[in-house]
Amino acid sequence: MSPITPRQGAVAEVGRSAAKWFVGWWRIIRLGAWLLALSLSRSSYSRPYRASLLHQIYLGTAPNLLWFAVLSALLSLVLIRIVLVTALSYGLSQFALETVVRVLVLELIPLTTALFVALQCTIPQSAEIAAMRSRGELDSLGSQGIDPLQREVLPRALAGVFAVVTLASVSCVLTLVLAYVSVYGFTRWGFEAYTHTVGQIFNSAVAVIFVLKIALMSLAVSLIPVGSVLYDAGRARSRASAEMRGLVRMFLVILMIEAASLVGNYY
Amino acid sequence: MTNNPSAPVSPVPHLQFKVALLLLLMLVMVSGSVVYVMYARGVFEPTQQVVLIADDSEGVKVGMDLTFSGFPIGRVSRIELDPGGNARIVVDVPQKDAHWLRESSVFTLERGLLGNTSIRAYSGVLTDPPLAGGAVRKVLVGDATAEIPHLVAAARDLVQNVTALTAPDSPLAAGLSNLRTATEKLNGEQGALGVLFGNDKDARKLIAALDRTNALLIRIDGLAAHADAQVFGDDGAVNRSRAAIAQLDAALGDARETLKNVDAVLREAQGAASNVRAATTDLTALRAEVEVSLHKVEYLIDEVNRKWPFARDTDVKLP
Repeated sequence: MSPITPRQGAVAEVGRSAAKWFVGWWRIIRLGAWLLALSLSRSSYSRPYRASLLHQIYLGTAPNLLWFAVLSALLSLVLIRIVLVTALSYGLSQFALETVVRVLVLELIPLTTALFVALQCTIPQSAEIAAMRSRGELDSLGSQGIDPLQREVLPRALAGVFAVVTLASVSCVLTLVLAYVSVYGFTRWGFEAYTHTVGQIFNSAVAVIFVLKIALMSLAVSLIPVGSVLYDAGRARSRASAEMRGLVRMFLVILMIEAASLVGNYY
Repeated sequence: MTNNPSAPVSPVPHLQFKVALLLLLMLVMVSGSVVYVMYARGVFEPTQQVVLIADDSEGVKVGMDLTFSGFPIGRVSRIELDPGGNARIVVDVPQKDAHWLRESSVFTLERGLLGNTSIRAYSGVLTDPPLAGGAVRKVLVGDATAEIPHLVAAARDLVQNVTALTAPDSPLAAGLSNLRTATEKLNGEQGALGVLFGNDKDARKLIAALDRTNALLIRIDGLAAHADAQVFGDDGAVNRSRAAIAQLDAALGDARETLKNVDAVLREAQGAASNVRAATTDLTALRAEVEVSLHKVEYLIDEVNRKWPFARDTDVKLP
């Protein structure tokens, strides 16, 4: 038997890494399928699990709702003003409203919301899960006959999805109102024209892509961090490393979703 | 958010109510947005279709507006090729706006310089019958970019003409040179007369003629003064005429008196004539009586002749 050369060793290392990478993705997808099945199960909403679910939903959304709304309103206001003034200086003010709605509502707000929820809610939650796992609490729950996925992971994942959808919808509505007020002022006479413009932007394809984008982003920020820390093979490795890998995966997926939505909307 | 999952979770007061509120907020936002977008897309509005046929559908996109007087009244819902190779642009028009489209409406597809395309409807006679649903109309295409080559060609011609005009040997330059010469003459000794006659000799002649005319005018002035004395002086024609007119007036007075006398004479002659007319009337009656008497005498003579047959002359002579 001939000894392994350094090149063969490097190829084998790359192969192992790729396999791990694919296995990691596969586990996250499997976790998503399990959680989806559990979320559709009636028992997940029974009394023993309901308190945890309500608590996680409340903690994931309520503390962030007000100040995220204010933050996104300020950001929207600044961007609306920039777009309006720029469009006016080029004599293209008729396209300003459409640009504002497209840039803010279709692109920036879903992306910002997903990243915000990831940083404020789902990544800390995944850290909690990792800590519980390292302390063996998940195993002890399993030994007590309680499904740790149903008890600890599902409420956090649902809380992440709920937070993304709620914050995004509130911010989008707020931005639409701000755009109207910025363009037309406090009058109702621009409503028809404004509605017409919104109707032109949200054609069937764009509306479906928008809904899909928010749904996929909410799933990405809810599942990937927790999936990374749950099934990361390197138990010996540090927790921070697993979280970092989850973060990279999550950003990659968000980037792909954003790119796909841009392709769908504009090509 | 707690970072110590093993610690007991701090209870949130009225947790169920607050989560229900959050759920309600999310549902209201999402469903409200969906309903608003559906309303903006015209899902709740009944529409009718207008099919526009164009040779070329370039620039036309699904969702673009059909405008009437600048107001969007319809939206392109489909673009397809018909069997004849033309583009069929199917436009959905809400029924509340459909009354702007009439049988005589004209549709245009205009492409701007910046590539922006617009479909417009023009209804000249709003009393015409309304356009039926599913009506097929030919669309008139107006392409602003197609005019650019013509515009460039025209601009080139214009520039060439301007260049020819401003060339050193051009008529315009010659004209300007002549103008400068004329200006110099204007500023010269003879002034405008030099410009008019072109040479100093003729200009001098004109000045001499003017001088002579001036002298002539002085003499005419003297003549006029004499004529004034002759006509309007104490023994002038006007005073004499006035005396002659006074004499004529007196003669006319005499003539008027004479005519009055003649008038009286005529009036008397008229009276005499009327007397003659009365006498003539009496004479007629007298004649009738004489005639009756004659008839009687004739009758008597006839009787005498009948009774006295030897009479020789039976005629009776009237006076």
